[in-house]
Amino acid sequence: MDWFNCEETIQAGKTTPMSVSEVSAIIEELLDDASLQEIWVKGEITNYTHHSRGHRYFSLSEKGGGTNAAVIRCVMWRSSAEILAFDPEDGMEVIISGSVRHYAPHGVYQLQVDEMLRAGLGEKYLLVEQWKKDLTKEGCFDTGRKRPLPRFPGTVGVVTSETGAVIHDIRNVISRRYPLEIVISPTAVQGEGVHSEIARAIRRISSHADVVIVARGGGSFEDLFPFNHPDVVRAITACPVPVVTAIGHEVDVTLADLAADVRAPTPSAAAELVVPDRQDLQEWLIHLRSRMAAALDTRVERARETTCDLRDRLRPQRLIRRIGERRQGIADLADRLEREFSARIGQERYLLSELKGFLEAGNPKQILKRGYCVVEKNGKVMKRVAGIVKDDRLSVRFIDGKSFVSVERVEHDGNL
Amino acid sequence: MTETYEQKIDKVKGIIEKIEDGETSLEESIRLYEQGSALIRQCETLLGEAEMKITTLSRDV
Repeated sequence: MDWFNCEETIQAGKTTPMSVSEVSAIIEELLDDASLQEIWVKGEITNYTHHSRGHRYFSLSEKGGGTNAAVIRCVMWRSSAEILAFDPEDGMEVIISGSVRHYAPHGVYQLQVDEMLRAGLGEKYLLVEQWKKDLTKEGCFDTGRKRPLPRFPGTVGVVTSETGAVIHDIRNVISRRYPLEIVISPTAVQGEGVHSEIARAIRRISSHADVVIVARGGGSFEDLFPFNHPDVVRAITACPVPVVTAIGHEVDVTLADLAADVRAPTPSAAAELVVPDRQDLQEWLIHLRSRMAAALDTRVERARETTCDLRDRLRPQRLIRRIGERRQGIADLADRLEREFSARIGQERYLLSELKGFLEAGNPKQILKRGYCVVEKNGKVMKRVAGIVKDDRLSVRFIDGKSFVSVERVEHDGNL
Repeated sequence: MTETYEQKIDKVKGIIEKIEDGETSLEESIRLYEQGSALIRQCETLLGEAEMKITTLSRDV
């Protein structure tokens, strides 16, 4: 070997040799490409090793031979491997997600695995992720469109299998808490293409119930898969009444659950959410009644106080005093009247006695007593000499009798 | 049923608030109380008479 020539050849390209670490750094930089980061890769597991520390080492191979044959070394650290839902083994078809890394100490590149799913299942999982993105864009999972559940529904709709524990549990809870009308919209909940039947069952019930429960018992990811389908999600979103979902176990969250107005951990819990407890309601009625009675008591008490207050203000002291004053006035008047009256009577009496005196004075007998006589002619008293002629027969009345005389001569006083 | 349980309960709450409010006259309060008591009785009846009924929709519809 011609070392000198060889050295010259190298020096023709680059004057000084690069260090291994420099080259390694360039490789690392080249591999740090977006198209190799956080990617999903499908392949077959080969050379699988479960390290005692918990890390998993294997190769992902592409079958088919010929020019398509390829292998990538993979590592799955313990922290990621701990959440594996299955035990990987050689020959298994898987879908893995991870990033390509260059491991400088060993001079190798490998796919560092974050997540590993079984093929088939993994494809479905990816499909769910895609649907989730699409439906999120449609606004199916917006929290703003979540509706409150009716407090006192008249009818509860249930979309589930006619048979099995789910409908049984829901019936039990509702009959215990608040028996009301349950309308079941039956549907198969498992199997190929069952999503359109579920969606139909949801649409069918929406006009028959005040609230709808969409429920399914526990199952594998694949069992629950139809509840991720956009048909079911959109049927829930379009449902005119609130929807409560209880699909699988609490840890399983389907897209239907995300689209529901309320997600319940179990079918029984869903039933508890949609109907109130009758006993609670009865107790509440008792509370309402006593509160109303208390309110009325307070009102009546207030009215009583007002009445008392008014009565106090109306108490007739002043009136009595005023009546007393009036009464005194009347008594005074009566006194005065009596006084005036008796004075007047006295006066009248005096006048009367005076008159009586006068009257007495005018009595003809008194005149006769005093020696005067009354002359009558033909029974008529003659006050004057006129009318008396000679030979008239006259009667002359004295106090003690009459004498009858005849007129001898008549003389008139000089003024005649 | 013209009025739902919820509507009745809401009415009762409104009535209580009116009675508690000092503005309402005594006559009106008594009238409201009677009305409220009747509503509560109706609610109790509704609760007492609640019965479970199960209907299954046809799959063909």
